[in-house]
Parts: sequence; structure tokens; C-alpha cells
Amino acid sequence: METLFHETISSSTIITLGALGGLMTSLSGKLNIGLEGLILISAFLSPYFAHITGSVLAGTVLSLTITVCFSVFIYLLHDLFKADIFITGLATNLFAAGFTAFLSSTLMHSKGTVRFSGFETVTSYDLPLLSEIPFIGVLFQQQNTFDYLTVLLIVLMYVLIKKTTFGLHIKATGLNERTAESAGINPRRMHYTAYVICGLFCGLAGSAMTLPLGAFVGGMAGGRGWIALVAVVLGRNNPLGVFAASIIFGFSAALSNLFQVNTSISPKLLMTIPFMITLLALILYSAKKQKEKEE
Amino acid sequence: MKPKRILMHRFLIIGFSILTGIVIILLTSSNPEEAISAFFLTPFSGSYFFGNMLAASIPLIFTGLAASVAFRAGLFNLGIEGQVYFGALTGTITARHLPEMAKFPAILITMISAASAGTLLTAFSAFLKIRWGVTELISTLLIGYSMIHITDFFLEDVFLDQDLGLIGTEKIQESLLFEKVLPPSGLSTAVFLAFGFIIALYILQEKGNFGLKVRFYAENPIFSRYIGLNCNRIALLTMILSGALAGLAGIVDILGVQERMIRGFSSQYGWNGIAVALISKNNPLWIIPAAFLFAFLEAGAASGSIFADLTPEISRIIQGVIFYLVTAYGLIDFLKERRRNGNALS
Repeated sequence: METLFHETISSSTIITLGALGGLMTSLSGKLNIGLEGLILISAFLSPYFAHITGSVLAGTVLSLTITVCFSVFIYLLHDLFKADIFITGLATNLFAAGFTAFLSSTLMHSKGTVRFSGFETVTSYDLPLLSEIPFIGVLFQQQNTFDYLTVLLIVLMYVLIKKTTFGLHIKATGLNERTAESAGINPRRMHYTAYVICGLFCGLAGSAMTLPLGAFVGGMAGGRGWIALVAVVLGRNNPLGVFAASIIFGFSAALSNLFQVNTSISPKLLMTIPFMITLLALILYSAKKQKEKEE
Repeated sequence: MKPKRILMHRFLIIGFSILTGIVIILLTSSNPEEAISAFFLTPFSGSYFFGNMLAASIPLIFTGLAASVAFRAGLFNLGIEGQVYFGALTGTITARHLPEMAKFPAILITMISAASAGTLLTAFSAFLKIRWGVTELISTLLIGYSMIHITDFFLEDVFLDQDLGLIGTEKIQESLLFEKVLPPSGLSTAVFLAFGFIIALYILQEKGNFGLKVRFYAENPIFSRYIGLNCNRIALLTMILSGALAGLAGIVDILGVQERMIRGFSSQYGWNGIAVALISKNNPLWIIPAAFLFAFLEAGAASGSIFADLTPEISRIIQGVIFYLVTAYGLIDFLKERRRNGNALS
């Protein structure tokens, strides 16, 4: 039971981080489809830079910088060259797969699993004070820095979106760009800012995936970026909704892992569980939305 | 958009991808001359390399058509990888269990079964879209990912050839395979089939009533409904066609080159097909050179890794750059604007 709980948290962390990033772009009205690709890029670059510099922090920072560049590039192609934003996001996903495969082969001379050395992998620990609270304390035990950081970021995002002027401006841009513009908001700046934030979050998601392991496998994101995208849609532009959806999807991933370890059901079939649950959630959401439209 | 601009853009893509290839070779190879020769020239040297390169472009023609058919209607079929893979297995198993019969109907039945498997998946996504408004961009993707896993399960646990060193099915009967047309390469009569489909789809798209309806639907779905088009039917038929083409991509490759289904044989067929569709701007005739370009990149990378010190992944990064290039059709306009106006960006 405890492992299921911890697995859910770690799976949810990655999806949540990606989804929070996507949420920003969704609020601004230009949804970023390229979450999967951005997460994958960071998943390789974080341990790589950590390996080169010897520091997990430096590795993360460098990786985030590059991930942000790629994220901004997605919007830039749309802004300057009139490319369809869905297509530029998709292009990023496809590019990331080839890019990481190429880097993995060229820089680390490995096409399969790449093991990075030269730094301390991110470990799990109990959070002092908070972990000692009865009952709730379980939440704060044996998680790693990324998990704790995610909780903090959810709160931060909630405050940012609901309570600050910036949050208001982003939402206004998303609702009606022209009106926002006449109110003095610069929509372009809002979009670029949203994409920068998205790059940061996706970068963290990628780091959260590989830094605790110290290893990278091709295609490691495994669809989690896409699942994060669905979480954004299901969350209805509300950070708490996005978080709730991410937890559900994280839980389905943890369930899949649990069954793979403890039963003899084919792991291949079990791996479809997160996708099927995500699809089911999307169907229920779409059906409900359609019903509301008709009323 | 002016046809001349589109043509220029296509040449820009080809030129830039070649340039990228050269740059990367210069950066990563310790013997650039040898590597460049291996990458750019070897694929054309002799019937073995050239024939295999042509054979490799066949599946991309099919997946390119599959993606293109969907894009034409303003729809996104992102599950092509899964449709190809599932269609391939369905076709292979059907072929292996056929009773003794003449070659032509046997191959026809095999291809129909593969196409139907692909169609099953896309039709389901179309149904979800029509019935509950579920965006096909995500549903095709999720179903696609799932079907790859499910097909792998069947490959590993049910239809596995125990004597084979890899994970794959048993060989398909010799009598059912396409004939080779350029030995010793793997190029088969499938190439004629591919051209046939290109022409068929060109006619359907440009010359038919259906093509016109699809164009209206893509331009403005709401207006289309007002003028009496059955939008649901258009979306459904489009997705059915797209899935069928995807399903064919895999089985044609198996009957033409592979002779059995091996795990992961169709990796990237779907995604590269999408890039091919984007390069060709949904014009079926341009799918041929676009598919050929991708096949060439793969062949170049492979010979670069065999005959020089390149890594085979080099093809993937060049393809990656192309994915970005195809998005920026406005690039040419933008460059012209800059030159004319100095530096005006608005």
C-alpha cells in the first residue's frame, strides 16, 4: 500500500510539473503541444550536464536554460513565421526524439540505456518537522526534492494565477487578445512569458525523471508529456484541477507498475493502463462539456 | 499561398537538410571526406543500395498519404505508428493462416485485413469525435501508443517464432510475397502499388466531388454544415481512409521486404510520414520526393555508419531539423519582408 502511494507521488510529480507548464500556455490562449519533447530534452540534458559539471544543481540549471530556449522557439515559429502552433509543438516532440537519440549516441556512445556518473543522484528523504505530523506526515516522508518542490510549485502557481495581476493579465490574454491589448496588456509578451515558464516546468519534469536514476533511456518520457497535456485540458485552466487530474494519471501509472511487479499479467498489456485511463478521462470530460454546451 | 513560394520552400528544406548533414558530419567525423562520400554517394552506387533506398521510401509513401489525407480535412491523425504496427501484425497473421489459393486474391485479402485493422483504430477515434467531441489529436495518439504495446504483447506471447533469434513471427509463405524487381536489393512490385495509390489519391483529392467537400470542411466546418455538407460523414470517411493507408504501410513493407514481422520494424514510419505530408503540403504527387528524401537520409546514415565513422542516429537529427523547417512556410515571406523593409517585423 505504501509503495503504491509513493509510486503515485513520483509518477504524478513528472506529469504535474509538465501539466503546470502547459497550464500557463493554455491560460494565455496558445496551448503548447510540445510538452513531451521538452520533457525528453531535459531528461537527457540534466544528467548529462550534471555528469559534466559534477553538480546536480548546475546540471539542472543548464538543462532548464536549453529547455526554455526550445519552448520559446515553439512560440517564436508561430509568432514570426505564422506556423500553426500545434504543428510547431508536434515538430518539437519529433525533433526531441531524434535529438536525444543523436546526443545519446554521439556524446555518451550508447544507444540503449545511458548511465551517467560523476554526481550524486537525487535521493529520497523525510522532510523535517512536517513529516512528524501524525497522519498527514506520511505525505512528507521519503520523497525527493523534486516531489517536495512540486507541492510548493502548485501552491505558487495557484497564488500566481488567482491572486496576482500577472495571473489576471495572462487569463485576459487567453480570453480575448484584442480586448486585453486595448487594456494595456502586451499579448506577445504574455505568450512568450508563458512559454518561458512552460519551459522551466517541463525542464524540471525532465530532471525529475532522470536525476534520481542517473540514467536515461531513449523515449523515456513514454507519453507522459501527452498525458500531462490531457491533464491541462481536464483541469479547465485551474491549477488545482490540473493537479487533481495529474494525480489520477500518476496513480494509473503507479497501478500499472504495481501489477507489472506483482502479477504475471503481461507487462506490455499493463503499460496501456495509463493511456486507457487518460483516454477514458478525456471521453468523460468531452461528453460532459458537450452536454453543457447543449444546455 | 503562391505556388512558387511553396516550391522555393521545398527546395529550402532539401537544401537546408543537406547543409545540416554536412555540418554534422564535419563536426562528428574524424575523416569528413570519407564520411560525406559514404553518406551522400554510396546510397546511389549500384542497384543494391539504390534499390533498397527506393524500397525504404514505400512505407513512407503510405504513411505520408495517411497523414496527408487527415491533414487535408483539418484533422490530426497522430496514431499512425500504432495503426501501421497493428495493421502489419493483423495482415501477417491473416497471410499465414490463409488456405491454398491464387496469389492475387491472397495478397488482396491480406492487404484488406491490414487496412481494416488500421481503420478500426481511426474509425474509433472518429466515433469519439463525432459522438462526444473528443479531439482526435489526442485520442489517435493515446490509442496509437496503446496499440503498439498490445501488438508487442501478441508478438511476444502469442505469435512468436521460437526458433528465430529475435522477436518476430514466422515467415510468410513464399507464394504470398511481392516479386523482387531489382535484385539483389529488396525493391519489389510494391513500388508500383505505392505509385498507384498516389495517383488514385491525387485523383480523389483534386478531381473528385469528395475532395471538394473535404476542402470546404477543412476551411470552415461551420459554414460547411450550413451549406448542407454532412460533416460527420466527411470526418469519418477521412479517418477511415487515413487508417486504411496506415495499415497498408506496414503490411506492404512486410510482403515486399521483410517477409515476416519483426518487433519494432516500423519504428518512425508514422512520424516520418507526418513530416512527409507536411513537406508535400498535402499534395500527393510531392509525397514521392519527400518520402524519397527521408529514405535517402536513413540510407545515408546507415552507409555512413558502415563505411565511415558516423553514427546511424545522424539521420534522426537531420530529420528533426526538417520537422522544424516544414513548420515555417512563412519563412520565405518573412525573409523577403526583412530584405525589403530593412528590419520591420510587424
